[in-house]
Amino acid sequence: MTTFEQTFEELPLAGVHDLAAARHAEGWRYVQILAVNTEEGIDLVYSYMKDGHLANFNVSGVKQTDVVPSITDLYLEAFVCENEIHDLFDVAISDIAIDFGGMFYQLAEKAPMTVVSPEQLAAREKAKKIAAAKAAKEAKAAAPAEGPTGPTEEEIQAKIAGLDPEKAAKVRAAMEAKARKAAEGKGE
Amino acid sequence: MSKATVIPFGPQHPVLPEPLHLDLVVQDETVVDVLPQIGFVHRGLEKLVETRDYNQFIYIAERICGICAMGHSLGYAETVESLMGVEVPKRAEYLRVIWHELSRIHSHLLWLGLAADAFGFESMFMHCWRLRERVLDLFEKTTGGRVILSVVKVGGVVRDIDASQMAEIVSVLDGIKGEYTQIMNTLLTDTSVKNRTVGVGHITTEDAAALSMVGPFARASNLPYDVRSFGRGAYGDLADFAPITATEGDCYARVKVRCLEVLQSIEIIKELGAKIPAGDIEVAVKGAPADGAQASNVLEQPRGECYYYARGNGSKNLERMRMRTPTSQNLAGMTVALKGCDLADVNMIILTIDPCISCTER
Amino acid sequence: MGSFKLGGMTFGSLFKKPETVLYPFEQKPAPAGLKGHIENDASACILCGICAKSCPADAIAVEKKERTWAIDPFRCVQCGTCVRVCPKHCLTMDPAYTPIATAKSCRVVHVPDPKAAVTES
Repeated sequence: MTTFEQTFEELPLAGVHDLAAARHAEGWRYVQILAVNTEEGIDLVYSYMKDGHLANFNVSGVKQTDVVPSITDLYLEAFVCENEIHDLFDVAISDIAIDFGGMFYQLAEKAPMTVVSPEQLAAREKAKKIAAAKAAKEAKAAAPAEGPTGPTEEEIQAKIAGLDPEKAAKVRAAMEAKARKAAEGKGE
Repeated sequence: MSKATVIPFGPQHPVLPEPLHLDLVVQDETVVDVLPQIGFVHRGLEKLVETRDYNQFIYIAERICGICAMGHSLGYAETVESLMGVEVPKRAEYLRVIWHELSRIHSHLLWLGLAADAFGFESMFMHCWRLRERVLDLFEKTTGGRVILSVVKVGGVVRDIDASQMAEIVSVLDGIKGEYTQIMNTLLTDTSVKNRTVGVGHITTEDAAALSMVGPFARASNLPYDVRSFGRGAYGDLADFAPITATEGDCYARVKVRCLEVLQSIEIIKELGAKIPAGDIEVAVKGAPADGAQASNVLEQPRGECYYYARGNGSKNLERMRMRTPTSQNLAGMTVALKGCDLADVNMIILTIDPCISCTER
Repeated sequence: MGSFKLGGMTFGSLFKKPETVLYPFEQKPAPAGLKGHIENDASACILCGICAKSCPADAIAVEKKERTWAIDPFRCVQCGTCVRVCPKHCLTMDPAYTPIATAKSCRVVHVPDPKAAVTES
């Protein structure tokens, strides 16, 4: 029984075709190509396998203006993944052996996997804020407490992060009321 | 010099289990070129990782395909466990493999019925599906669902199979085996079946390797690649496992390989059922995948090798989840097999790659 | 005449019990553990809402102010996540399937207030 192992390596965009040619010459099987939508661009992951070794090669940050060379001249079966990536992520791939020209999936919206909906954008912003708030809180941890104080702004942010907007507004109102009450209590 | 006509095949066709469109360029009843087109069942399921956390997404992964449901939930769970460094208890691994092999039996029986129906052998179709019903009843008794099992979770499995249920599984499988062997012999020795399948859609071993084909489609062309031979999980505890191959490389060989795989799965289940260790069936999984962590995984589904990839971003939602299914790999092989065949053989060839288009498109 | 290979099986099926049941006059008994629909034991429920948060289909709605727990059985995919995550184990999976209907509707369970019962006595 051969054992299975997987590796991840980085790959520059210029090396895509040469890597495919090298693998083909050594008799490696093509496994797949996938794309990930990141903030810096699209990451492409090429996978090849031989004798139980699954090698994944990551091409980071492919921009919309970059043209990726196709590997279908060596591995014909890659046309399915390359057409799919072109349709879903709007990555330009040249010389695909069977090129559907954007009509492979016939989508209603162009490059849907690159669309970040407003809710997700808000969720990602909140996640960043919690991380920042956490760091700020740890910095303040040494300061002594002055009796019962209401929840601070950071605590409010931390609590409402991840909740849907209506609920977030309700919780925020409740906590601000608490803060006001504590301030009044202290003032008396 | 005869004129070439283009005949559209699909997306609706009685022989296709799922919609697939082919433009067949035909000259005098011989197919000279094929242009496949998919995209009729694209649901964009991979984008749902953004709204469902890694525990909830397993239920979406299951529903990518009804036939491969257990396979997708298992592959997804294994990938996320590899991403988060979770080790699943041994008993859970055995249970997962038992359910997965039962799923393989049900998938191959389904396919055999469809293949028989493709050339008009409808009574065989009914017999195969009748036996498949017994496997679905087993699923219902052990997991609560017939097709969508929802029994795998990240960290283990949700239900246990106790000794009496295991004994019942073995006795039902023994009952199926007797009738199934009769059906299999009928299918493989009948002259009309042989006339329709021998020599049809031939793919050589070199072509199969060059096109990176997977699954029984490739094993029928003498390419002995089977992910189960890597011995991961409970497969490593099998006494011996050898992928079933055939040398002819035509439709008959593919039918034979799948028929024999059902018998092999029955033996695997019986062996694992006898060896299953006692212990926990799950382990608690807390936290979220680390930012930038990636993991990949391969699994032998009934149709071939399926590749899974997961990437985390620090939150409970995965950054990216990707499944590359065996049929998308075999589409190129199918176009090569179809070139030069008779128009009447097109159905048979398409069915023998066991197309699962809803998996391919997600 | 060529060999009628399935002849034995076909002839035997004249005398064997049929594989099918005469539904709806007879019904196969539902096995225990069949995933039918979710039931909530109102006396144990504390309206924490963990089930609603973990439901992958967004089928459960918990209103703490009105003290109601509602499930849309047509959205539910019978995965059993809510049953497992409930801290008070008040949710159970019942083997009966949701009956077919001409319109989708929610099932609402009113959870009585344990504090109100104490002040009354």
